[in-house]
Amino acid sequence: MATDMAVQPRLAAKASQKRKLMIEVVAVIAIALVLIVIMPMLLSGFRLNLLGRFLALAIVALGIDLIWGFTGLLSLGHGIFFALGGYAFAMYLELNTLPDGQMPEFFSLYGVTELPLFWQPFNSFPFTLLAIFVIPAIVAGLLGYLVFRNRIRGVYFSILTQAALVVFFNLFNGQQKLINGTNGLKTSTSVFLGQEVGTPAMRMVFYITTVIALVAMYALCRWLTSGRFGRMLVAIRDDENRVRFSGYDPTAFKVLVFAVSGAIAGIAGALYTVQSGIISPQVMDIAFSIEMVIWVAVGGRATLVGAVLGAVLVNMARSLLSERFPDVWLFFQGALFLIVVTTLPDGIIGWGRRRFGPAISSALGLAPTDLPYLDDSAEAEAVVETPEFAEK
Amino acid sequence: MSTKVLEIKDVTVSFDGFKAINNLNFSMDEGELRVIIGPNGAGKTTFLDVISGKTKPTEGAAYFKGQDLRKYKEHEISRLGIGRKFQTPRVYLNLTPRENLDLSCNRNKNVFPTLFKAPPPAEKRTVGGLLETIGLDHKADIPAALLSHGEKQWLEIGMLVAQSPDLLLVDEPVAGLTDEETEQTGKLLLSLAESHSIVVIEHDMEFVRQIARQVTVLHQGSVLFEGTMDQVQNDPKVIEVYLGKETSLTPEQMLLLRIAATMAWADDNFANVQQEVILDRLSRKFAHSPDDQASLRDDLKNLLAKEIPLEELVPQLATPAQKEEALMLSYEVISANQINQTEAVAYQKLLSLLDLPPATVSRLEAAALEELAARG
Repeated sequence: MATDMAVQPRLAAKASQKRKLMIEVVAVIAIALVLIVIMPMLLSGFRLNLLGRFLALAIVALGIDLIWGFTGLLSLGHGIFFALGGYAFAMYLELNTLPDGQMPEFFSLYGVTELPLFWQPFNSFPFTLLAIFVIPAIVAGLLGYLVFRNRIRGVYFSILTQAALVVFFNLFNGQQKLINGTNGLKTSTSVFLGQEVGTPAMRMVFYITTVIALVAMYALCRWLTSGRFGRMLVAIRDDENRVRFSGYDPTAFKVLVFAVSGAIAGIAGALYTVQSGIISPQVMDIAFSIEMVIWVAVGGRATLVGAVLGAVLVNMARSLLSERFPDVWLFFQGALFLIVVTTLPDGIIGWGRRRFGPAISSALGLAPTDLPYLDDSAEAEAVVETPEFAEK
Repeated sequence: MSTKVLEIKDVTVSFDGFKAINNLNFSMDEGELRVIIGPNGAGKTTFLDVISGKTKPTEGAAYFKGQDLRKYKEHEISRLGIGRKFQTPRVYLNLTPRENLDLSCNRNKNVFPTLFKAPPPAEKRTVGGLLETIGLDHKADIPAALLSHGEKQWLEIGMLVAQSPDLLLVDEPVAGLTDEETEQTGKLLLSLAESHSIVVIEHDMEFVRQIARQVTVLHQGSVLFEGTMDQVQNDPKVIEVYLGKETSLTPEQMLLLRIAATMAWADDNFANVQQEVILDRLSRKFAHSPDDQASLRDDLKNLLAKEIPLEELVPQLATPAQKEEALMLSYEVISANQINQTEAVAYQKLLSLLDLPPATVSRLEAAALEELAARG
């Protein structure tokens, strides 16, 4: 009898969960349709292009949320993966624009007469499509494996990712002969699918692709973070040692999540590049990777929606403010981060859920949602514990 | 032939030259519940670290059902069937108890099965049953951060059981619990002991007495003594080590106490009255403030030893004053209830060993009776 009583509310919870999922799917599709159909009517070409770029940045924010918000690993090196995706696509475009056998112009400036070996595969479009996310995933996976296997965590992990970022920046920045160094690769005059990338029609294509990619990545992240695997990520964030003594190998989980997060950043990088018209080592600027983290913090960690919202809102604020008061943006960004950290630790979404969550839930007939971060002290403890990496 | 579920052979663990575990040998049988006690710094937690793979032995090896544990990493050891509970409760605070248990219950803990396979109904049922066992069924779906300290302790024990291990390592399960919670934890462990081998590390002697069958005492990284709780409590080495660290008792005071206790045990019946006399007298004698007296009484309770030959004890009394003290206390103790035949024999033996002048003896006996009468 006792089991019957226990089953009742669980069934109700299940029904409520299903309803929640339905509402979420409808909401995501509705927002995607608004972005694809209505936004182009409302916004000028320039603004729409900006929105498209921000949505591409929202994709990388999803990746950051996955690795930081859920798994608790603060990566300050996502610029690497973003750049790898961007360069992969840009290299294909460079080659695609030229008649067969010819080399991109910049090579002649440095006296390079033969196309470097690693450029060759980028003649192929299918290869490039794969490379956009597979190469960042492999680099992230490899870096992750080396770091996580040695149980480097917390601040040390963050510092290492930043160090890796500097290495990659210098690598790309210094290699004039291979990838045009600091000048980067321009894509606006390249040809893609028989059209110039910078034309309004192509921009529209990339805009729509970005919206679709964002929805797809959101769905991927939602799938990853629900169910056992997602709880595992939270468990790793809460207490990695407990995970280990429960029979899981956290290294494998962390490597996979870091690789997926890197792949997502690669896709974002490719889409961002074609909409901004250039990829250069600048995207591996230290500040840019930190900004990605700020977007997620502002929107709300471990919420996914927060990452998207944070990325779009912060970038919108930046473009509006820097148009009018070019000098104050950096101050504003700093202030924004301080305000969020001190007064809204759960970001906009966390605050919204706390403030309006119960009302919305009851309006939709749903069970209340729990907040993503209940106990920050636990995480603080975990960070304090980190010097463990020397243990092995 | 009974297989040893756990065998530790000549294990030494040294950290920068400091030997946390020193040439330790230990073994236990399948299905045993073993309690490990020892003063702070005896190496108890390091002992668990060696078994669970957190620390690798510098020398020697640990075997689980004959398998050398040195080859395995923590998660592999856990998969072999060793579950560990930490000293402070470690559960996933942002997950609910149900989710906590579900993660431990998962049969295949590799990355891809965890990602792609939905939890089978059998595992869900196990989780439901466990929630009832640990009394958290009504709090199954709130975040674990909101549980009380005791509930977190139980949740972690539940997580261990969910792994369905053969050997449970439990580090101080009742630290910080109320008396009632402590007793319930004891019952929980005893019921688990019916189907698991369990190693419990504990400080709380009251609790140890509740659950212990076999007790191992660690001291300075080695096994000092092994036996039943009674044997442990009466072993002079244990008493010295265990209390030497934790009370202000001097060796002379210790000696007095042991002689008195031996007298009281002489008839194999250590009556409550006798115990009261000893505790009362000694705590008043050696401690001055009421607080100190109370804590000393608690300590002494653990050490009312029995069956230590008087021949060994008495010669250790150095001065005549100490001898007199011992005599008086002993007389008081046996006079506290009716003196019987065996007690009388023991007393005679004590007298001959003490070898005090008859006049002194009768003076002291009178004084002792007076003391008793004064207390009423």
